Amino acid sequence: MKKEEKTFEESLKQLESIVKELENGDVNLDDAINKFNEAMELAKKCNDKLKKAEAKVNKILTDDGKLEDFEVESE
Amino acid sequence: MNDKYLTVSELNSYIKNIIDNEEFLRRIYLKGEISNFKAHTRGHFYFSLKDENSKINAIMFMGNTKKVLFNPEEGMKVLVTGKISVYEPTGNYQIYVEDMLEDGVGNLYIAFNQLKEKLEKEGLFDPIHKKRIPKIPNRIGIITASTGAAIRDILTTIKRRYPLCKTILFPSLVQGDKAKDDIVRQIKRAESYNLDLLIVGRGGGSIEDLWPFNEEIVAKAIYNSSIPIISAVGHEIDFTISDFVADLRAPTPTAAAELAVPNMIDIINYIDQVKIRLNQTMKKKIEFNKMLFDKLINTYVLKKPLAMYEIKEQKLDNLIDRLGVNIKAIFDINKNTYINLLNKLEVLNPLSVLKRGYTVIKMKNKAISNVDKLNKDDLIDINFKDGIVNAKILEIKEVK
Repeated sequence: MKKEEKTFEESLKQLESIVKELENGDVNLDDAINKFNEAMELAKKCNDKLKKAEAKVNKILTDDGKLEDFEVESE
Repeated sequence: MNDKYLTVSELNSYIKNIIDNEEFLRRIYLKGEISNFKAHTRGHFYFSLKDENSKINAIMFMGNTKKVLFNPEEGMKVLVTGKISVYEPTGNYQIYVEDMLEDGVGNLYIAFNQLKEKLEKEGLFDPIHKKRIPKIPNRIGIITASTGAAIRDILTTIKRRYPLCKTILFPSLVQGDKAKDDIVRQIKRAESYNLDLLIVGRGGGSIEDLWPFNEEIVAKAIYNSSIPIISAVGHEIDFTISDFVADLRAPTPTAAAELAVPNMIDIINYIDQVKIRLNQTMKKKIEFNKMLFDKLINTYVLKKPLAMYEIKEQKLDNLIDRLGVNIKAIFDINKNTYINLLNKLEVLNPLSVLKRGYTVIKMKNKAISNVDKLNKDDLIDINFKDGIVNAKILEIKEVK
């Protein structure tokens, strides 16, 4: 298996395409079970990623090319 | 003799033709003050433009009045673009206004329109150059001032909707003479930060404040960026050159953030829905397969392997029974026919009448049916059913 990290958008797209494929109904049962498991795993991953998400720290690129944390002043 | 006199119509038509063919008059930039303004109920504007000494009638048709972003009023100073033509019925020449802007910002509008036209001709606004805005970006660059409402609105909106997204601010001047170069520099810098999307903009302000986003070098930098760009300059009503050349225009910085990232709640809901759909689909699939399976194992053959044999056995019996019935029927029919025939024969047998008490007269072993065959003293045999009597004819009486 490839260990390459998929982007969130790619995972979501893949999830969508599996669901559509299954819904179309021309998948045999064995494949369907595999795909179902795959899809549920993808759904879980995406969900976890979203629910456990911590807000990323905003960065600012300084003039000398450094990335520093950046906070916006509240109103 | 009258031939050298034109009709009024001919004259007006002739003058109209000359004016219409005058290149310069086909696109006039005119400034003046509005007077006698009348917005017709059908959407056209009728008014005059005047200065201290002169006046011209103006008409603006509905298709163009829709684009006017302010309410024209008596005495308002405006800049209009349009063509000069003649209204033949009255012989008046007038300006047919295509575009109208409020004056007061001097030549900026004209510069804006000229640059817009130029870049449009160069194809910078062509939809085929628009890059796709990613649905779920991971890294967004923001080019705006590091203080002020714009950056705050963008960052809080992104955080609220989709906190997973990394943001990098490329702080830039956004007004004043040096702003255009700064914006261009940051757009170029952003290239090397592996970004999915750039937001370039600033909050609201006067047209002069927004002006850096109407500069050609900024437009070109946006056009040349390999990263998709959402422009977010000023308020809803402010349109800048950057907006036209960007891959997507957002009416405000907040709207830019909303266009840039999805709402996490929506995605979570979507995933929940997908899970339900998956389960339903799978359940259906399994139920369907189970149904097929049940149908198969419940077939008679699999359930009662002997059944096939039984069926044949029974069928054989059935056949035999049917055969027996048939044969008997045939036999019965034949028997009946035979008996009938016998009965018929019986009736036809002459001897059978003897049984009913009649007799048969024979002479020399021949049956006699008429008296004329007999003579007196002939010897005859009288046949009864139970014996024969020999007799002698005594007398013959013929009956007529």
